Amino acid sequence: MQLSGLLHGAQLLDIVEFPHAEVLGPDASEDDIRDFIARHGEVFVKPLFKGGVGKKGKAGLIGRASDLEAALAEKERLYFVEHLHGNHRAKSQGVTFEGAVPAEHEVYFAITDATEFRAPTMTLTHRGGVDIEELPKHEVVRVPFESLTGLKAFVVANALAATGAPREIVSPLVQHLPKLWELYHHYGMTTLELNPIRLRPGAQGRLIPVACDFKCGFDRDDPRWRRLGIPESVFAVDYSNFEQEINQLRTYQGQSDVYVINANGTILAPTFGGGANSLVTEVLGDDAIISSDFGGNPPYEKMRDVARICFKHWLAQSNVLFVIGGKANNTDIYTTFRGIADALREYFSEHGPTPLYVVVGRGGPNLVRGLGYFADTLDALGLPYHMFGFDSAISEVVNFTQAVDRWMKRGGRDEVARSLGIKDPQAA
Amino acid sequence: MFKQGVGSFPYYVGIASLEQVATRQDRVCVLNILGTESRGVSPVSHAYSGGNIVFGTSPGRRGQMLKTGLGDIPVYDNVLQGLSDGHEFNVGIVYLPPAGVRDGVAELVRVNPLLNKVIILTEKVSIHDAREIRALAQANGVDVFGANCLGVADAWNHVRIGGALGGDNPEESLIKGSVALYSNSGNFTTTIANYLATAGWGTTTLISSGKDVYIHFALAEFAYALSNDRRSKAAVLYVEPGGYYERDVTFTKPVVACVVGRWKAKLTRAVGHAGAMAGSGDDAESKERWFMDRFGVDSLYSPDNRACTAKGAVVTNIAHIPQALTDVMALRRLEPDFAPTGSLDLKPWLTAHHGVKLPPELTLEPAPPPEPYARQLAAWARQVGFVAPRQNMKDTSGATRMDPTTQVTSVHGYSVLDLALEPLEANFALPLVHEIASDNDRALLDVAVAAESNLVGDPLLIAADAAREAGNAPNAVMAAAAAIVGPKRVERALKATERLIDLFAHSGLEDARDESFDLGRIDIDDDTRALFLAGEDDESVRPEAMLKALRARGGRSVFLKLLESLDGRVHRDGILAAIATTIAWGPLMRKRISRLTATKLPWYLRLYGVMIGATIPGHHHKTGSLWDIPREERFESWTMADLAFLAMTGRKPTPEQAKPLQILIGLLISNGPGAISAQGAKGAVSADGPQSPERVQINKAMVGFLTHTGYTHGGNGFEGMAFLLDQFADSGLADPTDPNHGLDLREMAMTFAKQYKRDKALAKDLGNEVQTVPGIHHPVFRDKPVNYDPRERFIAEFMERRGDHNIFHAYYREVVQALFDVGASPYVFCVNVDAVIAALLLGLLWEDYRSGKLRSKDLETAAFTVFLYGRMIGAAAEIDDHVNRGRNMDTRTPAARCRFVS
Repeated sequence: MQLSGLLHGAQLLDIVEFPHAEVLGPDASEDDIRDFIARHGEVFVKPLFKGGVGKKGKAGLIGRASDLEAALAEKERLYFVEHLHGNHRAKSQGVTFEGAVPAEHEVYFAITDATEFRAPTMTLTHRGGVDIEELPKHEVVRVPFESLTGLKAFVVANALAATGAPREIVSPLVQHLPKLWELYHHYGMTTLELNPIRLRPGAQGRLIPVACDFKCGFDRDDPRWRRLGIPESVFAVDYSNFEQEINQLRTYQGQSDVYVINANGTILAPTFGGGANSLVTEVLGDDAIISSDFGGNPPYEKMRDVARICFKHWLAQSNVLFVIGGKANNTDIYTTFRGIADALREYFSEHGPTPLYVVVGRGGPNLVRGLGYFADTLDALGLPYHMFGFDSAISEVVNFTQAVDRWMKRGGRDEVARSLGIKDPQAA
Repeated sequence: MFKQGVGSFPYYVGIASLEQVATRQDRVCVLNILGTESRGVSPVSHAYSGGNIVFGTSPGRRGQMLKTGLGDIPVYDNVLQGLSDGHEFNVGIVYLPPAGVRDGVAELVRVNPLLNKVIILTEKVSIHDAREIRALAQANGVDVFGANCLGVADAWNHVRIGGALGGDNPEESLIKGSVALYSNSGNFTTTIANYLATAGWGTTTLISSGKDVYIHFALAEFAYALSNDRRSKAAVLYVEPGGYYERDVTFTKPVVACVVGRWKAKLTRAVGHAGAMAGSGDDAESKERWFMDRFGVDSLYSPDNRACTAKGAVVTNIAHIPQALTDVMALRRLEPDFAPTGSLDLKPWLTAHHGVKLPPELTLEPAPPPEPYARQLAAWARQVGFVAPRQNMKDTSGATRMDPTTQVTSVHGYSVLDLALEPLEANFALPLVHEIASDNDRALLDVAVAAESNLVGDPLLIAADAAREAGNAPNAVMAAAAAIVGPKRVERALKATERLIDLFAHSGLEDARDESFDLGRIDIDDDTRALFLAGEDDESVRPEAMLKALRARGGRSVFLKLLESLDGRVHRDGILAAIATTIAWGPLMRKRISRLTATKLPWYLRLYGVMIGATIPGHHHKTGSLWDIPREERFESWTMADLAFLAMTGRKPTPEQAKPLQILIGLLISNGPGAISAQGAKGAVSADGPQSPERVQINKAMVGFLTHTGYTHGGNGFEGMAFLLDQFADSGLADPTDPNHGLDLREMAMTFAKQYKRDKALAKDLGNEVQTVPGIHHPVFRDKPVNYDPRERFIAEFMERRGDHNIFHAYYREVVQALFDVGASPYVFCVNVDAVIAALLLGLLWEDYRSGKLRSKDLETAAFTVFLYGRMIGAAAEIDDHVNRGRNMDTRTPAARCRFVS
């Protein structure tokens, strides 16, 4: 759950009264833009991506304009622009206009929870406005601080002294930066980054820090972000319809984490346990449709709902239903397998049979009852299966599953379809 | 701000050696001890650890106890109460929901100066709370494990704290040895311990660290405690991407590190482990490199590349851990702790191909699992039939379901629309076998029901007649008869069915029709013989007639063959049992149905016959004939539809008449578990207590269904007929199935519609309620310019395909159009399924009505009776389902949800 840009960032900064560049949203009229340029002399035109999308400047996706004609030309160029960052492609849905802030000094500031210190940690440099990875280490300071007392003025002052920051920027930053801890800590953030903060001269020549860009991440397990009133749709880009549907079941009783790996995959693998999730998805690679963790001893109803949603979205294209996990400690195998088996039975009742091979690998409480229930259901549905206990290596079971998938692709699917009495295997 | 602990850490660490992680001296308090998770796990931990939990908390539950094998654990509202009662503890276990975790830890720290360890099991604790917990614990000198972990255990100390490492049987995985285990995954902590055992390695201390962003007891602390642990000769680590916990750690003992999760670099958010998200420089590859540098190896260890030094090895597959550890330890001349306990080769426990031909690489045959699983699997394999888990079945059904969008109900996955096109025999069998019965089974069912429907000489016929003569509706008449078909009346048939299942369950018989099956494999003792054979004083000729009819119909049954081989006169209950077992056998062996269902099947068959028979007035029941139809003819050639038609009209239907009756009954089978009739049946089962299924009176459950039908639920089918009778009273209609009937239906409909519009306006002026037209309009199928009830369309299209005509149905279609044309309706209403039922039934009975053989009252009875025939099938489905799945008294409504009105 990430958010970038000043369109929403400005509202958040207002909560703690941290100054920021003025911003106009995508609905701004030509008159608004003209007035805006008149006030600021120059504007930055930035594409509006959902979620956290970085490196826009480097990709040439930030326009500058000092008249309406240029501003509109940049708007046209950037309104629906596509941006490849990492492995992900994002598409802009509008632009913002941000007033230029003339300044001599640019500062980088961030708070995050650093695992090196196991504490909230401030990163600060007075050489901001660039990627901080590009700066010499001595110009960047990282300072952990006490979470119960928060980011205090002396922490900022000490840090600025350590980097040799110009004297004129110290006092304004010491005054304003601690406010950002309130925003970070009380609204469920995991990262907060302002880059650059430009120090604009104020009324008596005193510098005022002005945030000219905004980026933050929220903890999806922390409901505090809801206090901000940000519409959920802002984060929707992170989730497919399937993931959103599963996420509605997200509670602390049992995991329900999913990630669509390959929407054209052929192995549907409900996986139990974070470890098994790492191992199984790693070995399956692009054969997997989803990466998931449904462990944590989910109750029956939740497991059945999770399975029902998985089947609704993916079973028709799946060659193998692969139910896999290690030797469970507290997840009741009977309860979880009953949920999956019942959802499978319901799917067949509702949609008719689909050619499917089932592979199971599991251990844990009530194992034989769980396997037995699942096997009974598969026998009733007429589906072929192999079920392994915890005494077979998970990775070997994954390899076996891939062998089944390969066989299904080279004619096995038709064979299973025929055994199920499906008249047109190609349509199934 | 942190309290100074052991070592030279720049933060607090209290544990100097792994021996101190989980000790026999630790005393434990569990927060939220009665939560779902803890309730199951804590008693096992307590017993395994010699009774280390001194008390637990659960607000509002002071005074309760959590039972364990080592005595009860007291429960208090809060920690202070427990301390005030004299309990002392040094370890706090947190099972609270995420929002309460931080406050729970704060309270433990605040009120208990002895606290030195906290273990947090809860998943999805926010980072906000984790950072505050860290600060609290650091300031107060407390070691924290988790959150999102599965606790810690020590195989030497025989202790596990705060979690379920080792599952419900810790001894199986926590085997004493020389390897310490530290894992980001709780599940893999146990799994790796098992894998190690296969190569002969046992464990010392096992730590499930959790993999949230904050790992409070991290690898550096583990490494320090490992070096001071005299028992541990090596360590195994399971590590995932994200975080720098492993980067600068040094080890003094050999280590096998398993790093998994290269693919996670592709993800944009965490799955499962919240902290397993790599940023820059802390992905899986980086972590592999950190360990490789530490161990002095230049590649990853795998069976094909056994790269390791005496310092350690790095693997990326947990299955490679045991071999890697053995190789590393061999370089130090150290042997495994014990002989290997097995291998990790592929060993399927269960397989089934269902006729699919597999390539050689997939034809792995089942291998025997270790004990006790082998014993459990053997017991499962001997189990006959499906066993459904019990649950609260109020307003819930595993048999029927109504789709709220289409209003179409399905029974065991079959839509009633499709069922309406199936022969009645298949529909009567469906609730009990969950499949469409074969031709053979239908023939058997015809004979079974026919043999039960002539009630001559039976007191229940007197009861039925008495009920009829007292002016009761047909449901009460049926109920009077059904009430008498109690457990003793079916005792022998049920026992015989049980015996047949016992005899053949493990004989290898797959197809009950297979009369070539070698009966020499079945041992019959004297008791069994006596059960199936009639006594010398039994003079009934019915068994012989049944057997003759079964053979005349070509019915095949290995069970009947067995009975016939017994060299004696077979008792009718034996034949009924053989028929029931034949019908049930396939689904029973395929585990589609439970053994319970199969065993009770004769009771349903007898009830079907009795309930239909009871609708025929007593004077038509005679020795050797029913309503003048000889026994032999009924047994040998009549169908269920014939029998139902006979009961309503006193004659055998033509095929053209039998079809609409079959459709009618099919359509009426069920409206889902919410229907009043279903509720009656389910309530009756619930009241008997399905958790003791042998005590549930199936006949009483049928009575429950019957008493929950009535003039408005079942009897209202007559309303549509009454409307049609009004419209066609003076029409001179001779044959309602003749498309050349000569009537101008459009004209008739327009006349009605105009009059209806006038009546409606008048009623409105007078402030009276407007009378609706029965059979049109529906609260779901409305608001379009032209509306259709899909159920009506289904039947209409079927009839069209067959070339069947029903004038009443056609008239209904004209009426909805006419009502719109004259402005009496805002759009064209649908003709609903009730209209179809009225039209089909009146079509069937029109001839008798017109000839005076049937009066208006008889039509009403007929409409109700048809409803009961259909719903009898649905009721059987609900009864059987509830007996199999329900809990005692589960249909009651809690007092808090009941309302009082004055």
